Formats: sequence, C-alpha cells, structure tokens
Amino acid sequence: MEKILIPGIRARLAGLVLALAAMAGLVLALPAPALAEYGDVVINNHSDAAGVRPVVFPHWFHRVRFRCKVCHSDLGFKFQAGGNDINMVKIIDGQFCGACHNGAVAWSVENCDLCHSGKANTPTQVHESTIQKLAGPAPAAPATAAKR
Amino acid sequence: MRAILLAAAIVSMAFPASAQDKGAGKSTYDKTCALCHATGLAGAPKFGNKADWAPRLKVGAAKLYASALKGTANGMPGKGGNLTLSDGDVKAAVDYLVASVGGAKSAATPVAAAAAKPSPAEAPKVASAAPVAVVAAPVALRAAAAAPGAAATGAADPNAFNRLLAAPGKRNAPPAEDGIHDPANPGTHALQPPLTALGGMPALAAGNRVNWVSSLEGGRITPRWDRDDAGAAAVVMDLNIVREVKGSMPDVVYPHKQHTEWLDCSNCHPQIFIPQKGANQISMASIMLGQKCGVCHGKVAFPVSECRLCHSKKKEGAGPAAAVAGARK
Repeated sequence: MEKILIPGIRARLAGLVLALAAMAGLVLALPAPALAEYGDVVINNHSDAAGVRPVVFPHWFHRVRFRCKVCHSDLGFKFQAGGNDINMVKIIDGQFCGACHNGAVAWSVENCDLCHSGKANTPTQVHESTIQKLAGPAPAAPATAAKR
Repeated sequence: MRAILLAAAIVSMAFPASAQDKGAGKSTYDKTCALCHATGLAGAPKFGNKADWAPRLKVGAAKLYASALKGTANGMPGKGGNLTLSDGDVKAAVDYLVASVGGAKSAATPVAAAAAKPSPAEAPKVASAAPVAVVAAPVALRAAAAAPGAAATGAADPNAFNRLLAAPGKRNAPPAEDGIHDPANPGTHALQPPLTALGGMPALAAGNRVNWVSSLEGGRITPRWDRDDAGAAAVVMDLNIVREVKGSMPDVVYPHKQHTEWLDCSNCHPQIFIPQKGANQISMASIMLGQKCGVCHGKVAFPVSECRLCHSKKKEGAGPAAAVAGARK
C-alpha cells in the first residue's frame, strides 16, 4: 500500500510542476489569434480607466491618404505606441488627431466609436510588430478571449 | 513493485467496469485535466458546470473524445498536454467530466458504453500509467495551444507551418473579425475593410501584404505631403548610403529617396541616426527591439523578414548567390 502511495506523491509533485509550467505556457500562448492589420496601433493609455473602448489607429488607412511626415513631423506624433500624451481635450483643441479630425480635413470628434472601437482591456500595442512577436503575442481582451 | 502493480491490475480488472472507469477517470482528471477544467482556465469548460458543458454535450461523445485526444482550436492541447496518458485514460477522464454535469446518460452514452469495457490489454496500462507523471508536456502544450493558423482551420496541428503566419484567407481581415476591434461596437462596422483599399495594390510577402513604396511610385496611391495642401510635393533627396555588414549577408543599401518620399529629414536625424558616416551602431538585435531602423521597420514599414530589401548589395568578391539586385522592386 505504501509503495503505491509514494509514486502517487511523486505524481502529484510532478503534476504541480506540470501545472506551473503549463500555466506559464498558457498565459503566453493562449491569446486570441488576432488578425488585425500590420501596424494597427491600440492605444489604451486612459480608455479602460475612463470606461470607453481603447482606440484602434489603423496605420494602413492613414498611409493611403497621408505621408508619414504629416503626422510624425508636422503634428508631433512620436514613433511610439502610447508614447504620445493624447486626450480628448487636446484633440478638440486641434492637437494630435484633432489637427485633421475636426470636421474639415476628416470627420470630427463626435464619432466616438469610430476610434474607440477596440475590445476592452486590449493593451497598448502595435499589432504584429517584431517586438510583439518577440515578447509573445499581447494578450487580447481577456473577457472575450476566455469565451473562445 | 511489479507484483503489486500486477495485483492492482488484476484487481482493477476484477472491478465492475464502470467503477474502474470512474476511478481512472477521476485520477486522470485530478492529475492533468483539473489544471484547467477545475477553474475554467483559458475558457475550459468547468467541472460540474452545466452551462459550460451543454453545447459540448450536444456534439456527441465521439467528438468530445476526439477533442480531448487531439486537442481543440480553443487551445486545449492533445491529451491535456500529458502525452503519456493512454487513450483509455483520456476517455475515462472525459466520461468523468461529462458525468459531473449529469451528461453521461444523454450524450456520452453510446461511446461511454464502449469505453466502459476496457480490453484486457488496456486495463493494466490504466493501472500502471497512473504513477508516471509527465513534465515534458509544456513544450507540446505550448506548440499545440499556440498555433493560431491551426486554430483558425479548426485543428490543433502541432506541425502547422508557422504559428506566426496568418493563413492566406485570414489576412487583411475586416475590422469586426480582426480580433482587436470590438464587434459589439457599432462604429466597428462602419470602418473600411482593409482589402477594399489594399486589394489592388502591388503585393509584398509581409506586413500589410502591400508594397507601399511601389504603390506610391506607381501612383496607385497619392498620400498628401501636407495636411491641407493636396498639391504639395515631397522634398526628395536621392542619395544611397551603403553600409558594409559583418558576416555573409549582402551589404545594406539605404536609399534616402524612398525614405524622403514619405518622411521629413527631422523624423530620423539627428535623434535616431546621427547624420555622419560611421557614427551609428546598428545591429539586427537593436532593430528587432524597435531601435534604429526598427523604429519603423517591424512596426509599420516592411518587417525584418524581408532581409533582401535592405541587404541588397553583393559583397565584393562574393559568390553568385550573395546578391539579389532586383529585390527592391
């Protein structure tokens, strides 16, 4: 009887190791396989805290219409996701997005849900960036990912 | 030891089939399945939770067994990641889970009956497999769980070509299906699907699957150089910088022309690149970490997988295989 118990304990210990390793693996490996465009930027500096959806900025859409220089030089956007201190007050004041999204160059700020269209809890990221791949895929919205 | 196991095997064979099954199922569950199925980790249907199991029970026992044995697109690895489990163990564990929601009679009955009669060859395996725990599983688990391509096609194929590569049918997905936009948001459905814009543009094997540089050169797109003035022309500088690189890769030709079509001098100089020969240390490692060229390449501009778009100049005296002069087009 004892001889059967001992391997049982060993199994449990090994099971614990497996459990920890598997949890680490799962955390890294289980996000939803997002299929968004290369360069889509999720900006979630304040959105979750403010109870709105995070912003998804589609680089590809804007590249078709403007050269990089317009936003990254003229408008002062830094080359870093989440690295620009943007808020709605500044946008309405004509800074950052508001330089175009003012009803003159592009549609204006009352279309909240065209920008604030990301899944809640999606972290700030550049989708499909090399860093994202190296560091493991960024976890997509846990609430919805869990249902998949 | 062997005698005890043999005795255990004989005893277990002597047990009524259902009782033996339940024991093996519970022990397998406790050892392997409970990790996820006890708490619902990663979306696993929880032990005893009827709501979680109702849709699964509908597909029938055969499919449930197959999912448990081979893994699922939702991230469950084959045999729960514990590949030393016998098929009988796994099926018994499925029965045990199904029984926890009272589904044994309704859903799993046809095959449960079959599984309840373990062949004499299988029974000792069930008994002896129990003490052998597995630590090698995480690798298999990671591989099986992390294959989005395979997940998309509905099978967790551990030999899927490349888990980072979206299958052709899954590229340029419309916003509502791209995994980042919230489909419940009305505005999401008003956004332009990428393919309607990118569909006719010159192709590239990576990134947006579009060659932005030739699209611009060929007039396929006419992005503004100035926010307000549609007629403003870019200030283009045509100067190639050759960087000799270590190792066997072709040297890098950096074309100012293609960059100044898009960017202003001040975007790169002097913060990212000091405008002086030999003053900039650049490595692929730094690029992949988002420094130097990696400020754009690997985020928005074509990624580092397209080696030969930069490494395009054959080294002096190098073999014929070294250079791909036409790679830039």
